[in-house]
Amino acid sequence: MSRPTNIMLRVAASLLLFAMVAFAGRAQAADSLAKGAADYKPFAVERIGIALAGAKDLQAAVKAGDVKAAQAAWIKSRKGWEAAEPITGEFFAKLDEAIDAWPDAKQGYHAIEAALFAGKLDGLAAPVDKLVADLGEFDKQLKAPSFKFSPQGLINGATKLAYEIGENKSKGGESPNAGTSLSDMFENVEGVEAVYKIAFHSTLKARDPKLAGRIIEKIEDVEKLVKVKDLKNVDQPALKKAGEELAVLLQNSAAKLKLKKPAVGE
Amino acid sequence: MIRRPQSPLSRYLAPTMGVVAAIALGLALARAEPIATREGLLPPGTELNEDVLDQPTELFASELAGGKRSYLLNLGDLLFSSPAILGGVARQAGISCATCHQQGSNNAKLFIPGLSRRPGTFDTTGALFNPKADNGVFDAVRVPSLRGAKYLAPYTHDGRFATLREFTRHAIVNEFAGPEPSPQVLDALVNYIQEISFLPNPKLAAGGRLSPEASEAAHRGEALFNKPFRRDAAMSCASCHKPDSAFVDHQVHDVGTGGWIKTPTLLNANFNTPYFHDGRYDGYDQVVDYFDRRFDIGLSESERRDLVAYLNAVGDAKEPVTRNSVQAEFDELAQFASVLETAIREHNRESVALTVDVVGSEWRELGEKIPPQSDTSVRGGIAERRQARAAVRGLVLTLRQVEMAVATNDFDQAAQVYADYRQQVVAAATDLKRAEPWSLFNPPVYEAHVTAMRRLAGLAQ
Repeated sequence: MSRPTNIMLRVAASLLLFAMVAFAGRAQAADSLAKGAADYKPFAVERIGIALAGAKDLQAAVKAGDVKAAQAAWIKSRKGWEAAEPITGEFFAKLDEAIDAWPDAKQGYHAIEAALFAGKLDGLAAPVDKLVADLGEFDKQLKAPSFKFSPQGLINGATKLAYEIGENKSKGGESPNAGTSLSDMFENVEGVEAVYKIAFHSTLKARDPKLAGRIIEKIEDVEKLVKVKDLKNVDQPALKKAGEELAVLLQNSAAKLKLKKPAVGE
Repeated sequence: MIRRPQSPLSRYLAPTMGVVAAIALGLALARAEPIATREGLLPPGTELNEDVLDQPTELFASELAGGKRSYLLNLGDLLFSSPAILGGVARQAGISCATCHQQGSNNAKLFIPGLSRRPGTFDTTGALFNPKADNGVFDAVRVPSLRGAKYLAPYTHDGRFATLREFTRHAIVNEFAGPEPSPQVLDALVNYIQEISFLPNPKLAAGGRLSPEASEAAHRGEALFNKPFRRDAAMSCASCHKPDSAFVDHQVHDVGTGGWIKTPTLLNANFNTPYFHDGRYDGYDQVVDYFDRRFDIGLSESERRDLVAYLNAVGDAKEPVTRNSVQAEFDELAQFASVLETAIREHNRESVALTVDVVGSEWRELGEKIPPQSDTSVRGGIAERRQARAAVRGLVLTLRQVEMAVATNDFDQAAQVYADYRQQVVAAATDLKRAEPWSLFNPPVYEAHVTAMRRLAGLAQ
């Protein structure tokens, strides 16, 4: 074999090895992300389960004419829903629209909320039945073995929710009648935290430990800001800033995870 | 060792995350059960009149003279829109100077229960915004327009401040519990306020005289306005409201309305209701009637009508209102964001942080004028709305990246990200204009959205 041919073969072999290592690395990362996304699913199942159970309690309370129990059940259901928000709109847009429409709430949580927290049960049976049906369908689709979360969808949903946590709720927020806007934020933070920690943290930590650490710190910052006595005590400007910083860090993490930069549209 | 109950989340955490999970778990357990409240920071029934369709027209002296907005003007405009320079409830609730003085004008619909006696009035010494300034008296005064303020010293309804600078500081620190403003902040705010011009009024000529465009009745009213009172020939309406001096005399007078009150300007006053320092009157007919009785002027019915016509002519303006649009918002935000160029170059952290906060908040507000898919009061344009909302949110986050870079002293990176931001703005303009037909800038869409809000509020009654 001539010397130039020998060199060319060596170069080709090196390139092939490099490509194989790169491919293996990428495949390993993809495997790790797929595992993370799979690991996250039980959390979503649990929280939607809470939302559904709460809605069923609400249904029973409305039938029994028990306003207080109905209000408590609405809040219980809502908590489950809010923690699952990183995935509700991202993976189940139509059901999300039916369950969480606002302000034109002819169905879903907010249509029920307005009347329920004014102490009225009249006319609530139909929207409550519909809420139970929609959440039941959500639960069924989510639990289906064929349903899998995509890592891209999860990072999109978490980033979007991190951004939305910073929306100003000082005038009452999305649930002013139930007065659960602070609770909503609190559950939202937990939802983002769950997506990140379960689905992405270990993979990111292996690739960029500094960024992974900053995300954890920022999640903790946001948690502290919503861990207050009532809505009036939320430092809204600081929360907006921290939520945006968390969203930026999650966007930055996408590149390290070989994912597309998350859009935060809906 | 105390064993704490396991958080639901911890069940799903990978074992390798032990330390981090423990920290998070500790935080999760330490947090108190949130207390649900039906109340926000502002009392129920508050109307901030954040109307999106029409805004008071705002003109700047430098632009009217063929020049441009200076850095100082833009910074002042930005500060005027920033809750961050205020304190307490105002800062938390997102209230800024511009909330009460929309586009440098007034806000005739502003109403805060407990602080407003009627729309357009506000008690600056109430307990809500600065408990330390609470004087225990419900003494709401009307929110004045700031148009032409540089000609209207002294300041506040009782004229207690000789300069705009003193008044501006007082409003920030004493009325709204803000931190002591820096000289740079005051310079910029005063510059902005001094730039706000009266709106042109074709019915007025030089020296405050009526032009031929005013009606005959108004001209008859002008004569009455300058006519000496029958009980005191040294006085006329014009002796305090001097036509050649922006219709003011820079004095305070006791005209029987509750103390010494500064003479208000009559220019553009048609758009600065209600009237009198406490906003007791809605129309000029009531004002004329009051002074007729107070000074025993002896006006006939037709003379009253003529005086009202005169006041209407003097108080008029060409194009007092500007229809809001995506383009108008873009133009304003471009001016605001331009502050960043200088601030990054000069390594001015304070101005960068302020600009990012204000412009980011304004983008957020603009984004919310594009209803999400879940707002089913709006039909159609879902793809366009999604794209526009994503573009706006992307801008907010890019701006935040600028501030994050500055926070780590990486001004080169900040400049690079700001350049990216400017590119993104161009693309976002296209996205937003595509979505505009389904936005709250479109009157039918706005009406449908507001109707849905009212319906929801009705259900909660």
